[in-house]
Amino acid sequence: MMEAQKYVWEGAIPLQIHLHESEITSLPPPSPALILAPRIGYLPLLLPLIKPYFSSTLPPGQDTIWFDYKGLPLKWYIPTGVLFDLLCAQPERPWNLTVHFRGYPSNLLIPCEGEESVKWSFINSLKEADYIINGNCKNVMHMSQSDQVELWHSVMDGNLEKYIRASSKLKLGTVTTDEADMVGQVKAGKIPVRLYVWSVNEDFEDLEDAPEVDNWDQISYINRPLEIHKQGKHFTLHDALKNLLPEFFGGKSLINDEPCIEEGEDVQKVSSEDAGSSTGAEEGKEIFNQPVESCCNDAEIKLVRIQGIEPKMEIPFSWVVNSLKNPEHFLHICVCVKVPNVNAA
Amino acid sequence: MATESLSSARKVIVQLKATADAPILKQNKFKILGTDKFAKVIDFLSRQLQRESMFVYINSAFSPNPDELVIDLFNNFGVDGKLLVNYACSVAWG
Repeated sequence: MMEAQKYVWEGAIPLQIHLHESEITSLPPPSPALILAPRIGYLPLLLPLIKPYFSSTLPPGQDTIWFDYKGLPLKWYIPTGVLFDLLCAQPERPWNLTVHFRGYPSNLLIPCEGEESVKWSFINSLKEADYIINGNCKNVMHMSQSDQVELWHSVMDGNLEKYIRASSKLKLGTVTTDEADMVGQVKAGKIPVRLYVWSVNEDFEDLEDAPEVDNWDQISYINRPLEIHKQGKHFTLHDALKNLLPEFFGGKSLINDEPCIEEGEDVQKVSSEDAGSSTGAEEGKEIFNQPVESCCNDAEIKLVRIQGIEPKMEIPFSWVVNSLKNPEHFLHICVCVKVPNVNAA
Repeated sequence: MATESLSSARKVIVQLKATADAPILKQNKFKILGTDKFAKVIDFLSRQLQRESMFVYINSAFSPNPDELVIDLFNNFGVDGKLLVNYACSVAWG
């Protein structure tokens, strides 16, 4: 287990970073910056590495760093490795990103005031994970300021040994489903999971032919913790995904018949509730049409990727969690789903 | 399981609670669609309080990501059929 965790911590994405043309004020234009970005890191933290490449050509003004990939502004609070797994179906190396120091798109991205914002987001995710695991986040809240800083620095520096030392005080434990593994391990109740479900309409055989994500609306950001039930057998990644995304997994037998009826009832409740308002009826109709379509047709999972790996579905889920989770104790899973085109139906 | 995940179109009751120096709002409860993002709750609060920045928490504990869906927060952290949201004008829980 430790070995896999070490690989995750050492994992990095080679980036080729171009300055956006609107911010180039010198000739010849600056060369792109080649940088290794840690998987478990966050893009804004790369500022001290990137700035020197472009500082002499930037127009006057204050820096607020942000990135885009083929025009899609990148959400800075998503770990860099997850962004890469999600947006590069066919991994591109180096990954060509565009950096901006001006014109922050605050209508699309949450404000970011540098390292402080990233740290705030990280610590709050850690608290959220603690809440899911323990039912409260006293462990994180009772951490001393210096312990919290040490933990954060271990993540910033990618120092796993320091991280293990700093986080051992958190008592967030290791997940286990086997009696034999129980010795010396804490049995966790729920497992914090963040899912990124990318829905595509077109079918593709090869990842090279996968369409591009050009809008964040194509990705559902789902936070669904998972409870592992001991069933006298290994709880596999397949079992976990079936529990997390029942609407896409398990084939016809699981989602085709009954839930359709239930769903119809549920939606009708909503539409009749809304019928009082003038726009309500129309909204209700929209809600009614969409899920029934996606439920009765077959949605197909094309790709499941965690930390750059497309793991085998029969791997024990406890191994996946313990080895591949991020330092804030969330397991980030990227899923690509082919859904039938609603408009074409 | 299937019904649980499909119920995201339902509405969630948000219970607001002022913390520390934040003013108390007359309307301390409202309904919001489960499919809305938490950002909408933050927007609502900043409009009501006419403040650009504020600190918004769940269960006096943590600040969720503004992109998280209200239904996920309710399913994971809801208490007594409500989602308890605390707001403050300065950092309340670090």
